[in-house]
Amino acid sequence: MSKRTITLILVVYLAIIWAAVIFRIDYFPLTWVPMYSVYEPRETISVKVWDKDKYQKGLKVTYRDGSTGYVSYKDLNIPKPNFRRLYYSRMFGTAPPKHKQGNIELGTLNQWVRGLEEDEPRFEVDWEWRMFWTLNKTLGHEPSDPKFIIRIEADHQKRVYRKKDLLRKDLTTVQIDTREALIEWHDEWLPRWEHGIL
Amino acid sequence: MAFCNLISRGWNQFFFRGFSGESLGLLRMYIGCGLLFFHTYQFATVLTLNPIGSRNYFLDPIWYFHLLGIQYHIPALSFIVYALLMTATVGMIMGKWTRTSILIVILCIFYLKGVRDSFSGDVHHRYIIPMQMLFLFLLSRCGEVHSRDSRRDTYPPLQEWEASWPIKMMQLYVALFYFWSVIAKVRVSGWEWFSGEGRIQEVLIKRSVRWGMTGEGELVKNSLSFELAQRPDLIQIFSHLVLAFELGFPLILFIKSVKLRAFFLSGVIIFHISSFILMDVNFLLIPFVYLIFFDLVPIHQWLKIHAWRLFKRRPSMAG
Repeated sequence: MSKRTITLILVVYLAIIWAAVIFRIDYFPLTWVPMYSVYEPRETISVKVWDKDKYQKGLKVTYRDGSTGYVSYKDLNIPKPNFRRLYYSRMFGTAPPKHKQGNIELGTLNQWVRGLEEDEPRFEVDWEWRMFWTLNKTLGHEPSDPKFIIRIEADHQKRVYRKKDLLRKDLTTVQIDTREALIEWHDEWLPRWEHGIL
Repeated sequence: MAFCNLISRGWNQFFFRGFSGESLGLLRMYIGCGLLFFHTYQFATVLTLNPIGSRNYFLDPIWYFHLLGIQYHIPALSFIVYALLMTATVGMIMGKWTRTSILIVILCIFYLKGVRDSFSGDVHHRYIIPMQMLFLFLLSRCGEVHSRDSRRDTYPPLQEWEASWPIKMMQLYVALFYFWSVIAKVRVSGWEWFSGEGRIQEVLIKRSVRWGMTGEGELVKNSLSFELAQRPDLIQIFSHLVLAFELGFPLILFIKSVKLRAFFLSGVIIFHISSFILMDVNFLLIPFVYLIFFDLVPIHQWLKIHAWRLFKRRPSMAG
């Protein structure tokens, strides 16, 4: 390749990587937001506490025939860290950071480019439906099966620290809550089931 | 016209000067060696799965899986792709069918990263820099020096400009990656991100408390992070240091002194190690890419003389 061609390649390459930054494109291998960027100032810091025994046992599920059981990372054949995200985040409707970063402070230009109204999120995913999809499909259950999962449950402890107390090194006033998530299958999702998530 | 000439001169000076063909060939070899560890570290969790276990239907397929209609994981295939990835990386290091090897490495990373990130929808950014570098290696003539290919076929010698542009573009990308990090933080969260009671404090608390407490009320892990989180004054200093190095990273492109560059990059390495230990931010192995900021010819010569001598001098176990 000649020097001229390489110059052209470099100009195109630079234009693409900068366009990704300007237009907030975060599709691998392009990015505009390399590291932890989202911070929303609050008076408190709340932390989900992982319970190893609990998440290793798995998500509590109820089948169509009324029986109950647990679905673990081994049943789904996924790595433990990914299962933790299902258990502690998606079950509670919490989206991945990529979605949060993509939705916050989008700006007029990026709203216009994507045809979004003001305050209309760029990423919106129905995590409840997807949880039923991934669990049932992986385990080979169809909606008419008696072993089709119709309810999924998870819970975790949450510790809430006030910044004021942290500053005073007063750790005794931590607020401890238990959060429970219970999601149920809706039969109106049946047409989606045929279509899948793609 | 004078302005255009100035830009053209600056462009040529930056992109087309500074490295020899030998430097480019060695960089391909050393980066390839780093990748062998990096791949294993990144895909270790996928390799813990049962190869004959159930096919997981992804919760949130990555964009290209979506495009290609890939909606479930075939566990055994990941093991095959990983083996292929390592073989192709060795091919890249040795310079055997270099371009093909690099292309296979790229495709394997796309697949394995896609699998890992589609299980729960969290897309990680750790492969972005290595992927950009691989793409630039692919376009370059890096396989024509220090390679098996060059023993088989004869190539015209690499000009300085041909060897320099891929390395200079890699350097620029890495510098921009850190610089964009500041832009993103300010765009999304404002300068508040860098305050003592900002994002760093939040992550320190979250990453230390999430593993729970012992019966005695002690933290199971990361008690140092928890201690540090209670010192916003100290966090403020650290966050200003982060701001300074991320914002100032592009300056490395203009530092001529090797010692000064090494000093700056040592600071960045300490930053990555600390953020891994204290905040579980997993960019621990990424510093291997900083090799692009050095001419590897004298380093390779030194290693050839001294490292081999060290191996030879090692007393035998029997002795």
